[in-house]
Amino acid sequence: MREPPSDKSTRKMWNYADKFAAKSGTHLHPDRAITEAVVLGLAANVDDYGRPICPCNFYPEKDADGNWPDGLYLPREEEAKRRDWICACDEMQKFKYCHCLLFVTEEGLPITEHLPEDHEGREIYGLVEDPTPDKGRALGRVLRDR
Amino acid sequence: MADLPDVTDATFEADVMNNELPVLVDFWAPWCGPCRMVTPIVEELGEEYAGRVGFYKMNTDENAAIPTQYGIRSIPSLLIFKGGELKGTIVGFRPKSDLRKRLDEALV
Repeated sequence: MREPPSDKSTRKMWNYADKFAAKSGTHLHPDRAITEAVVLGLAANVDDYGRPICPCNFYPEKDADGNWPDGLYLPREEEAKRRDWICACDEMQKFKYCHCLLFVTEEGLPITEHLPEDHEGREIYGLVEDPTPDKGRALGRVLRDR
Repeated sequence: MADLPDVTDATFEADVMNNELPVLVDFWAPWCGPCRMVTPIVEELGEEYAGRVGFYKMNTDENAAIPTQYGIRSIPSLLIFKGGELKGTIVGFRPKSDLRKRLDEALV
């Protein structure tokens, strides 16, 4: 069982979550238990790996030779070196979609409007429109403008 | 509502692969928000399908071998096994009616 996160990292991640929600025009999930679980997971990953890696993925472990299987996400220590699953993850920055349900609509649904139509988020939640399309998606705007 | 029994890397063979019943395994982690929405629904299905389907949960923070073997990426992920074979995979939160439908399809 992993250790609970430090108070310092927990406070830092609550502060981050509040600020990013405001910046991106999203809301923290209305079920406090869900939001708290994710914030604590992010804080624990800050303590253990130095970065707030998404706690809603499975990351494999390295074998004795330092290798890991193809087709999965990277081990946490490797994910911490790149940005794909560091919160706010690439999916959030491009599509404003949070599969961890941290940054959602006021009703608690993840925004799926900007996702590719074949993305699993569309299959799960259907079309959830972005109530604040002028906010967020910083990476998506950069890619679109290129 | 009954808690789902835990299955681990060590007990997976006996509890899932060699189970006479079809089995649904809920891959979850303690700090995964949507897992907290899915697990209570799976527990309800566990009662509904009692005697017909085995239900287990696996903590992916404590068990890496089986999630790796089955290519788990996002959690929650629900995997359905029958006769030791993988029959269905459901990723992410789903409403109960959807889970029931997917479970019934996998059990045919």
